[in-house]
Amino acid sequence: MKREGSPLKGVMTIALKEAADHMTSARMHLIMLLVLLTAAGAVYAAIDQIRATTSEDPFLFLKLFTVARQPLPSFASFMGFLLPLVAIALGFDGVNGEFGRRTMSRILAQPIYRDAVLFGKFLGGMLVIGIALLTLWLLMIGLGILLLGLPPSAGDMARSLAYLAATLIYTGVWLALALAFSTLIKAPATSALAALSVWLIFSIFWSMITPFVANVISPVDPFNPISVVNAFETQQALARISPATLYGEVAQMLLDPASRSVGPVFMSQMQGALVGAPLPTLQSILIVWPQISGLFAAMVLLFTGAYVFFQRQEVRA
Amino acid sequence: MNTRTSMFWGALVACTLLSNAPAYAQTDAMKTSSVQPYGFWLTTPTPEFTANAGKKISIPLSVINDTEEPRRAEITLNGVPDGWTYALKGSGHEVAAAMVAPGDTGSLTLELTPPSGAKAKAYPLDIKAKYSGGTAELPLAVTISDAPEASATLVPELPALRGGVKTSFEYKMKLTNDGADDALFNLAADVPPGFQTTFKKGYGSEEITGIPVKAGQTADVTLQVKLDNSVPAGQYPIHVMTVAGDQHAAADLALQVTGSPKLDLTGPQQRLSGTAVAGKETSFTFKLDNSGSAPAKAVKLAATAPSGWKVSFDPAELPGLKPGDEQDVNVTIKPTEKAIAGDYMVTMNARAEGTSTSARFRTTVETSTMWGIVGLGVIGLAVIVLAMAVMRYGRR
Repeated sequence: MKREGSPLKGVMTIALKEAADHMTSARMHLIMLLVLLTAAGAVYAAIDQIRATTSEDPFLFLKLFTVARQPLPSFASFMGFLLPLVAIALGFDGVNGEFGRRTMSRILAQPIYRDAVLFGKFLGGMLVIGIALLTLWLLMIGLGILLLGLPPSAGDMARSLAYLAATLIYTGVWLALALAFSTLIKAPATSALAALSVWLIFSIFWSMITPFVANVISPVDPFNPISVVNAFETQQALARISPATLYGEVAQMLLDPASRSVGPVFMSQMQGALVGAPLPTLQSILIVWPQISGLFAAMVLLFTGAYVFFQRQEVRA
Repeated sequence: MNTRTSMFWGALVACTLLSNAPAYAQTDAMKTSSVQPYGFWLTTPTPEFTANAGKKISIPLSVINDTEEPRRAEITLNGVPDGWTYALKGSGHEVAAAMVAPGDTGSLTLELTPPSGAKAKAYPLDIKAKYSGGTAELPLAVTISDAPEASATLVPELPALRGGVKTSFEYKMKLTNDGADDALFNLAADVPPGFQTTFKKGYGSEEITGIPVKAGQTADVTLQVKLDNSVPAGQYPIHVMTVAGDQHAAADLALQVTGSPKLDLTGPQQRLSGTAVAGKETSFTFKLDNSGSAPAKAVKLAATAPSGWKVSFDPAELPGLKPGDEQDVNVTIKPTEKAIAGDYMVTMNARAEGTSTSARFRTTVETSTMWGIVGLGVIGLAVIVLAMAVMRYGRR
């Protein structure tokens, strides 16, 4: 029998309810507290460092995101490392938790299609992450104005907003991954562990693995300089499987106006170039656009996988 | 004492007419040849001279007292024609008598002004100095002449110079005051527009507008001429005049400007920056103009760009460009395919015979938007997959 109406009817109801649940949950409070504390620490250290070393910079505010002071990493690398954790915390028991609490059949007894449940869960998660990131971003700008005593320039604002959007997409990838695991795996603890292992592999171990794999695929011939370039390019291509690498490149490009390329640069390409001249914001975005669109596509495809699996699942358990 | 009154001889030998008989036999003066002459005299270095009518004549007078006591002398001037005015001056005041200490000499000045209508002839005058022991006399002869007074001359050392618009031309001139008086000469030069002139004394550095020259002496004056860049090539006259009272002198100088071309290369809308896309040709309209004073011949355009870039000019060569003319040059820049985004310097040169110019053009290379479209395609593909999944598995 052909069913009628929009499959997405009721998505917003579920999304808002999901967001409200997340907002009040102790899990979310704890993880956001962790993020806030580390972020505030990173920014505070960065401001100290900027005050001590920078006399003048047209993009002073962007330095808040990138400057690091030992032993703390910079704000941008903190975000790359911790935001997946937030997303996993929000999504790892999104579907199997409902089964575990035996509430899934109750939700599906409402006059909505099953599509709305997963879409709603994903959108609700994204809404919470969006609110959290916006708060964090405003906090950064506020701290910057307060402690640096300068208003941000238009270029600063444009670049940091683009960075905010890219960060949201990056977190969305991990949320989609966590949701996919929560539909695939019945036990919430197992799905959490699976998502966390993927996070650990891509965040920490991936950069150790890629040189070995690249060496196998395209070995370096010491007498052939082209093979060195090939090996480097293979390694970079492999590293870009990890969303953390893509996000790192996006952050570097958007937050440092003087950087021109994310790949290897030959001397001949630098001839006649004015090093240090800032790129227009749109040009920077255009350079990392493949990375951004890759992240977006990965988010959509992971969600599609979770969606297809969820739709085919037996829910009357 | 009478003997002493007739002792007028020494200083007046040259041309003075003495009314007293020369007292060669004066006994006390002749006792020993080394002894100073003894007496009281009135002398002047110029007892006979020629002057122009209507001008004040200054005659220096000396009153010599070689007696043993101070003497007061009443000085009178006789034989002054009607209409003439005169004044006797000593230390700035008008005086009628002089007092001279023994062995001393008093200085007085007789200022005599013949009226402008005075006839040209000789006028005898007689000055008397009456003192307690007698009278000293000094006859003067003033000849009024019609002949014009000797004036000043200005003689350039090198009256014709040649050079380009950037040259500093220096004319050295000798200014001679042939007049009877010291004078302050005002200096002026009549030049074509675009010329700046300064006067200097000799090799000095101070700029002057006038120079004092003593009577009969010569001063070195340097005229320095600088030109505006816009002065076209050609021959120019310079008229230098100098005036002091009614003395004036002039000199005609010539200056030949040899022109030189000067090229200027300006970017589109006066900007020296532009945007180009990697691997694609972008055209800019540059303007080449000749702001010099001579035509630029055989102008060639070339560029220095990063390796792999192609820069072409249309036209790449010009047979000539007249002064003040401008020519649009279409510059096509094609950054290499592999150029990464950012700013690059492209230096463009325009060369002609004897001149060249260069413009540094800041080219901002933008990345090709091809990858942006590919990225959008990837996103679109993912969304289509999702939509198809919704269509296939939706509404359960």
